[in-house]
Amino acid sequence: MNLVTDTVAWLLDPANWGGNQGIGMRLFEHIAFSGISIAVAIAFAVPVGIWIGHTGRYASLGFNLANLGRALPSLAIIGLVLPVTAAIDPQLGFKVYPTLVAMVVLAVPPILVNTQAGVAGVDRDLVEAARAMGLTEGQIVRRVELPLAVAPILAGLRSASVQVIATATLGAFFGGGGLGRFLVEGIAQRDDGKTFGGVVLVAALALAAEAAFVVLQRLIRSPGALRMETSRAATSAA
Amino acid sequence: MIDWAWAADHLDELLERVVQHAFFAGLAVGIGFVITLGLAIWAARRPVVRAPIVSISGILYTIPSVALFTALVPVTGLAIQTAVIPLILYTFLIFLRNMLAGLDGVAPDVLEAADAMGYGRWQRLLRVELPLALPLIVGGVRLATVSTIGLVTVSGILGDRFGGLGFFIFEGYRRSFPTEIAFGALPTIFLAIAADVLLQRIQRRLTPWAPRTMRPIDPGRGTVVGSAA
Amino acid sequence: MSSAESVVFEHVTKRYPGTGKGNPGAVEDLSLEVPAGKVCVLVGPSGCGKTTSLKMVNRLIEPTSGRILIGGTDVLQRDVIELRRGIGYVIQQVGLFPHQTVADNVATVPLLLGWDRARRRARAAELLALVGLEPARYADRFPSALSGGERQRVGVARALAADPPVLLMDEPFGAVDPIVRERLQNELLRLQERLAKTILFVTHDIDEAIKMGDLVAVLQVGGRLAQFGTPDEILANPASDFVARFVGADRGLKRLALVRVGDLELQRAATARAGDDVEEARKRAAGDPFPYLLLVDGDDRPIGWLDDRRLQGLGALSEDDAESESPLFDRHTTLKDALSMLLEAGVQAGIVVNEKGAVEGLVTVEMILELTRARASETMIEPGP
Repeated sequence: MNLVTDTVAWLLDPANWGGNQGIGMRLFEHIAFSGISIAVAIAFAVPVGIWIGHTGRYASLGFNLANLGRALPSLAIIGLVLPVTAAIDPQLGFKVYPTLVAMVVLAVPPILVNTQAGVAGVDRDLVEAARAMGLTEGQIVRRVELPLAVAPILAGLRSASVQVIATATLGAFFGGGGLGRFLVEGIAQRDDGKTFGGVVLVAALALAAEAAFVVLQRLIRSPGALRMETSRAATSAA
Repeated sequence: MIDWAWAADHLDELLERVVQHAFFAGLAVGIGFVITLGLAIWAARRPVVRAPIVSISGILYTIPSVALFTALVPVTGLAIQTAVIPLILYTFLIFLRNMLAGLDGVAPDVLEAADAMGYGRWQRLLRVELPLALPLIVGGVRLATVSTIGLVTVSGILGDRFGGLGFFIFEGYRRSFPTEIAFGALPTIFLAIAADVLLQRIQRRLTPWAPRTMRPIDPGRGTVVGSAA
Repeated sequence: MSSAESVVFEHVTKRYPGTGKGNPGAVEDLSLEVPAGKVCVLVGPSGCGKTTSLKMVNRLIEPTSGRILIGGTDVLQRDVIELRRGIGYVIQQVGLFPHQTVADNVATVPLLLGWDRARRRARAAELLALVGLEPARYADRFPSALSGGERQRVGVARALAADPPVLLMDEPFGAVDPIVRERLQNELLRLQERLAKTILFVTHDIDEAIKMGDLVAVLQVGGRLAQFGTPDEILANPASDFVARFVGADRGLKRLALVRVGDLELQRAATARAGDDVEEARKRAAGDPFPYLLLVDGDDRPIGWLDDRRLQGLGALSEDDAESESPLFDRHTTLKDALSMLLEAGVQAGIVVNEKGAVEGLVTVEMILELTRARASETMIEPGP
């Protein structure tokens, strides 16, 4: 029971929350890194996914990219990027960049594949009807395909966030910040309270993000069964 | 940039780590498969237990691997199970979703025909339902294997006795020695791709009747939303 | 070939929990007896409980009350697995196992019964040939490589595998196109002539019921038996407004489908051959009720009708004198088809030929209408629509 009391004591100690290396700061770093990576991944993956999904060109490329992403372990990406960024920037190159790059690389496939499948999964009759009514291709994407693909895209973001938060934790072992620092320091200092406090915080953040997406998906799904249908189609395709 | 001489000197160690890597991954996938198959059959027959089993697997899958490896240290010490248990737990969701989708996907008319011809409960499961779920089950094995091979590297945070090829990445980082990092990272990727290709071959051999387009459900690719999640 | 067994429903009722009478799929106090070797068609609108009734025979659905006897034994008294292995079952979606070859699919019940491989293989080949699928071509294919009609044939072969005395068929031809359906129906009838199984056949199509059934049970929503009898009885004397509406206003025409050309007393055809003397031949035709001359070849196969006005003054007949043709029937052509073909061709008479193509006699529109009038007067006293 030592472990539990140590962990609770560490978590409740206000001294551990403040300061540059406190829980507040680490939590902020973790969320910020994750948010930045996802934002970068969205900026790339969503337009490309829409384009592939809408035109149907290079469709297998998207799926193969996703499979490749699966075979690229986060640690291997960090490891492979590290020598490159270290050569460019000897200071930060060994710390933040490799993890950030890995996070973006890992976030792209789920977002890309789900966007592509979501857009491609919109009922082709609907798209044809829109085209027959005189909508331009851009209008079809904006008014028909994208609104109907929201659910799958969100599903992609959800998996991306799981990956990104996990990878950010791993990044702490390579000089990065975030909540993973408590694990690194706790293990090094043989401080079980700190280690386990870190574990609890990391797990809580991951589950909170997951829960937020569940709520978001419910909110978006509720207006009609149609969207559920498209998300089903997309997910079975992915 | 690459120190070939160092690499040539450490081939024995590389082989040792490859064996360890494959052993950890194989053990976790094997145990995970057996446990989940039991759970999936149970869940498919008892709708009441289905939601809790899927939810718990989903929660475990969400917790970052680093945290799960670390969390076990005070409980199991630095033994092999500390590395293998989290790896097993991560296979649960992948296996479960594919097995359930496979069993759910058996057409009702096929089940009715099986019942009408006098299949018993277990005969029907063994001869009809599981064979028909096989493309997705084997697809799940593929995904779980590839994913586990990646996760074995992370167990390197537990110390030098763990991590398989991941050991080289951690040590290479500590020594700021890019050659050693690549020495761990590239074979890991190679191992994952090789396992994927091999299992795909086996899958086609096992299920010659299944359409090639059937894709397994990959919880790591946002497919969680599709079902009753 | 095992003998067929009778199937008897005794006051069979099926209610679903939380619902009263008149609910879809429910069955209310159903009693009927299907003698061994007969085809009984259960027909009715959707929700009339026809499929429920069928599935209670092999206990895919358990009755709420009442008894179903096969060969005098209550199905509820028998081990359910053993019972099912002794009853053939064919459904609309076929339900072939996609992971097994056609031969393995057909040999499913023999496998469950523990037959050895060689015997299963031989049985599968025998059955595939029986349903018109060449074993060498089809045995090792997977179901995904078959057309809808082929799948349905494999489904029938599978149901017959262990030579069950009773066959249950739930809308077996409902999912194939009309041309294939027609062919499968005919094949099943031919098969039944050889096998003489007791068949319970469910359909919502009254035409199919009339064609396939020795007996027809018309069910109405709520699962009540509206009428049970031979197709002719049901068409001639519908027991209620419901049955009359269900069989349709054209039931007079439908009855024609029950009579075949071979059932009629054919009219004699006055025939002549090339080389015959014209005047002598004209005299032969003059005495007939249908006074036209039919030119035939040396084997009595019809060539065409001769126009009387053009014949006058000719010496001997030649093949070039044949002016017009008529539809050809055989003894199995139904009167409904015959009438339809005659109206289509716009002629008065069709020629009935035997297997060799030789003329047997004539069927005229007049004969068919005569029969309809006679039958209509039979039904006048009955409550009509």
